[in-house]
Formats: sequence, structure tokens, C-alpha cells
Amino acid sequence: MAGGHGDATLVILLAGGQGERLYPLTKRRAKPAVPFGGTYRIIDFTLANCINSGLRRVYVLTQHKSLSLDRHLRARWSVLSPGLGEFIQTVPPQLSLVSRWYEGNADAVFQNLDILEDERPREVLVVSGDHVYRLDYGRLIQFHRERDAALTVACTEVPVAEATRMGVVEVDARARVTAFHEKPACPTPMPGRPSHALANMGVYLFDTEPLVRALIADAKSESKHDFGFDIIPRIAAERPVFAFDVIERCPPRERYWQDVGTLDSYFDATMDLLQEEPAFELFDADWPAHRHAPAYPPAIMRNAGEHEAGAVNSILAPGCIVSGARIVRSVLSSRVRVERGARVEDSILLPGVQVGAGCELRRVIVDENAVLPPGTRIGYDAEVDRRRFLVTARGIAVVPDGTVLTPAGGR
Amino acid sequence: MTRILVVDDEANQRLLYREAFERAGFDVVEAGDARQAVDQVRLELPDLVVLDINMPGVDGLETLTRIHDQRPALPVVLNSAYGGYREQFVSWLADAYVTKSSNVGELIGAVRDVLERRAAQRRGTE
Repeated sequence: MAGGHGDATLVILLAGGQGERLYPLTKRRAKPAVPFGGTYRIIDFTLANCINSGLRRVYVLTQHKSLSLDRHLRARWSVLSPGLGEFIQTVPPQLSLVSRWYEGNADAVFQNLDILEDERPREVLVVSGDHVYRLDYGRLIQFHRERDAALTVACTEVPVAEATRMGVVEVDARARVTAFHEKPACPTPMPGRPSHALANMGVYLFDTEPLVRALIADAKSESKHDFGFDIIPRIAAERPVFAFDVIERCPPRERYWQDVGTLDSYFDATMDLLQEEPAFELFDADWPAHRHAPAYPPAIMRNAGEHEAGAVNSILAPGCIVSGARIVRSVLSSRVRVERGARVEDSILLPGVQVGAGCELRRVIVDENAVLPPGTRIGYDAEVDRRRFLVTARGIAVVPDGTVLTPAGGR
Repeated sequence: MTRILVVDDEANQRLLYREAFERAGFDVVEAGDARQAVDQVRLELPDLVVLDINMPGVDGLETLTRIHDQRPALPVVLNSAYGGYREQFVSWLADAYVTKSSNVGELIGAVRDVLERRAAQRRGTE
């Protein structure tokens, strides 16, 4: 990493949200444990950023359905050396400071004040487990220290129309934050780029002392106990807060950022991987996004009689078998089977899904181990789909985990 | 009348504080340990808590978190013979930290400051 001061910075990764907007993908797992991109889970990208940036002291604050995350982290992220003071440690609610569940992401950190007490880091990097991006946090740390900031907020530039659903930062010429608006009706454009606004990526680097003071003051007041709504404005009112614009300050490969907190944004981020020139490249030997992958055999594509197998602009994870089927702009996660004559288009199949002969799928997310009998059609008639499945506002159908459809097309 | 809850395991100290605070025009209720303190917060609805730290069993800092759990906005003034606890983050949950001395006036002054600051905050948000 750029600064080389990884030991001084502690990471707190927020992974306790319910993930209701990703339901039913979060029916049985925590949001950060939702599979993504064929062989990953959403949390992998943030963890990869930490480890590849040299930040090797990571607390993952869990809450809902945390078993899924525990299992994933143990299986895939047992890469550090506790003997050298490195760890990725999940922390379920301790109920030690107060006797209630987390009431907001700032409350989650407040309730774990004893971690900060024990570790006494110079800075605390607060990140969340539901964003897909690549960022060398070392750049952020260096920027923060050079400016003697109390808080540095990583930001990206988004079109003004999209910024209404985000936190928007106003800055002066030196990138110092002068105002912060959470989900503004009329976002203030950036100085020098009127079509875009500077949006909060949910990556915060705090000096420890102002963080603790703000968390405590917030805990004693009526608020949403949210970093965006409450903590940033509270600190910005009293101390120097800076915006780190990744578009301005990072190389091209670090300019992609996508929140995958809703089914539609999850779908979009997946499709971003499948472009001919993808905005976000999974394969990068310098920046591995996981270290231990399960040992499945390589993906196999084979013809079946007159049915030729083919796949374009798609991801096929190890363990897949495609027999005489066509795969277009889709992600097939591990152990997926697609049988002869089937066509899968603009779709995401999570691990273990079985697609029978002659099935036609378009704009569908099929969750783990679902079984689609021969001839199933999804994505061609919104009315029919809505009777059987959750269909998003943008028309993406979601088949829940473990669903076994009957050949007649019922459930 | 403003009601102060004095939490201290030493009865003599509580008596000293009771007399001083009553002379200064406050209503005083007492607790000798953490459990009584949490009960008194619920039953007597004090306006502010003066809290000793070094107590046998559950100490003052943990009592502070239990009070916070019950009434997050209730002002607390920590009162200890030892100043070192103010380094601990959890002590920042209190509104003030006064080192114990023979001069009770300093403690009463801190209590008044905290109450005035809170009143000013309330006026600011109204």
C-alpha cells in the first residue's frame, strides 16, 4: 500500500444489515455473504481491498444470519497470521455496553467501543460489506494524514440525477467538506463538473478520537445512528473533514464503485462484469479477491446431439456443466448444470442451480440449488412471472433458494 | 426542584454530598451500588447522576453504561479520587469528570455547568 502504515489503521467492516432490499437472496444469508460474480461473495471485494492494501486487522461486525458469513470467512479468508497480530475477526453483537440490537450502523460501532479501547489505533477505517469496488486504501490513508483530517470520506462522481439516492458531499477547492446532504432532492453539483455530484462511497477513515467522541455524542441523542445522516455532519461541524475523490485521485482500475444493496443494483453490477470492456475486471493477479477457492473440476461445455453448446460474454465458474445449451451475458456460479436446448440470457445462476432441457431464462436471478424442470420459461411474460416469483420494478425475476419447480410450471 | 442521584459506596461520602447539594438547593436521592443506582434512575427519575467510579463489585464505569442503556440522555458527572479513568473511552459517556477533593464546591459547580449546558441545548433544538 502507498503509506505503509497498515498497523496503525484498524478496519471495522459493517456487515450487520438485514439486507431486506436484496430479499429473497438474503432469506438465509447475510447480505455480504450473497454470492457474486461466479465464485465470490459480495464481502470479498472489500476484504480484498483491505488485505491487498496491507490492512490486516479487520473486525467484521455481524448481526443478522451471521452463520453464513462466519462460514465463508473461515473457509475462504483464513489467510492471515494471528501470531503476527493479523486477523479477520467476526464480532456478533456483544450486548455488553447496552442490551439491544444495533439501531443503525453508527450504533454498531458505538456498541463495540471496547474494541477501539483495546486496540487504540491511530485511525479507524469504516467500510461496509455491500459494495463492489477496488481501492488501495493506502492512498486514502496518505491523503488523510497529509491534510491532518479528522475524517476523510471516499467519494465518487455520479450523475446528478442518480445522486438523489446517495449521500452528497459539497467541497471547497481544497477538497474540504463544507456540507453533507443524505439523499438530497436537489444534489449540489461538483465545482467544475456541473453534470455530476460527489457521492459518498461509504468508506470512511477516521482519526480515532473524533470518531469516539462523535459516536458517544450521537448515542446520547435522538438520531438514526447512521454514519451518513448523523456522524459525518456532526464531525464536519467541528473538525476538518475531507473528500477523497477516487475519480480524480486513483488510476482507472480503481474508479469503479457499485452499491449492490438492491436486487436491481446487484443485477446491474453483475452485468458490468460481462461487458466486452468490463468497467470492473475480476481477474487481476496483483489484487486477488480471494485466496482459497473450493476445488471443483473445471467448467465443461459440450454439445448434446444436434444441440451445440455455446457461451458468450459470460462467466462460467468451476464445476459447471453446460450440455448443448446457449449461455449469453450470464453468470453461472459453481456446480450449475444447464441441459440440452436450454437458453440462458442476461441471467445470474447461483451455485448448484439445475436448468432442465429446453428451459428459456431471460433477466432472471436463480438462487442456490433451485431446480428448473425441462421447458421452464421465465422472463418472457411478466404477468406469469409475477404470479410465481418476486419480480423487481425493472422486471428481473428472482427464483428463491432451493425452489423446486414442478414440470407444469407451478411451485 | 432539580433532583440529583448520588452514587457512592461510602455512606459518609453520600452524607457529605447530600448536605452540600441540599444546601445548594438540590433534591438528593442516594444509591450505594450499581444495582441500586439503576433502580433509582428508574424509580426516582433524577435529573442528573453524580457517580463514583471505584466501587466494589460493578464499578462506576460499568454502572455508567447501565444507566446509559436505560436513559441515554440522562446527564452523568463522574466523580473519582483517581483521574486516570478519563483516558478510557467509556468515561466519555459522562458529561463531566470531577476529581474527588475536600472541595465539594467544585463538584457542585460542574453539576450546574452540565445542567446549564443541557438546558441551552434544549433551547437550541426547540
